[in-house]
Amino acid sequence: MRIDQCFELGYITKRHGLDGSVNAVLDTDDPSVYIDLEAVFLEHGGSLVPYIVEDIRMKGDQAIFTFEGVESPEDADALKGVKLFLPLDILPDLGEGKFYYHEIVGFRMQDRQHGDFGTVTTVYDNDKQPLIAVDCNGKEVLVPMADDILLKVDKEAKVIETQLPEGLLEVYTED
Amino acid sequence: MARSLKKGPYIDFRLSNKVDAMNEGGKKTVIKTWSRRSMISPEFVGHTFAVHNGNKFIPVYVTENMVGHKFGEFAPTRTYKGHINKKDKGKR
Repeated sequence: MRIDQCFELGYITKRHGLDGSVNAVLDTDDPSVYIDLEAVFLEHGGSLVPYIVEDIRMKGDQAIFTFEGVESPEDADALKGVKLFLPLDILPDLGEGKFYYHEIVGFRMQDRQHGDFGTVTTVYDNDKQPLIAVDCNGKEVLVPMADDILLKVDKEAKVIETQLPEGLLEVYTED
Repeated sequence: MARSLKKGPYIDFRLSNKVDAMNEGGKKTVIKTWSRRSMISPEFVGHTFAVHNGNKFIPVYVTENMVGHKFGEFAPTRTYKGHINKKDKGKR
């Protein structure tokens, strides 16, 4: 399994107790979806190694994993900071108008007033308000992810229709 | 110590004047502000502010659940950590 065929579920923060369990932060909208996980991939030196999950307990956005073959505190300490991955196939389709952040990278942005103004380069996922970064003639334009601004996401045409607030483009494009 | 209730929330008067003028005129232009310490009042809902983070302006589209918070909370001053990795996060 290659990393580009997987998504990042989270990362291991520290060991938990003395039986080889580890604490992990799950960087996902809904951690409870993963309560029945049977296996995960752990990144070791750029490649992914499957680990069988013996037990998993949820604590908010954190989970306590017990992996098969990891039975000592030393083994658990060695996993600190390691990222967890799962295959992209298991991500449910979100349906029309909904999208995963990684899906929209490369999409064209079309505004009702300004027309085509750039390409999505990344999404800054801050907790308060995610921002879409758009490359507009070499300048980075940030667009808040709000229902009133993003009107339609066309995954087939790879286009996002927007209605930018008046003056937003000028904040970034005028010197 | 929390701010005295007697004083009411702190909102930069120039900022609130601009929003009041826009609300009267029915306009919604982006308002640039350096006043990160101003509290978001209910009149700001639906407006977009460009809040300076010391380096550049970060757009903040004000929604109802932001009321009572300060503008600075929505414009981080540290460099973003890239989140280009594929994750189970999205707009649902």
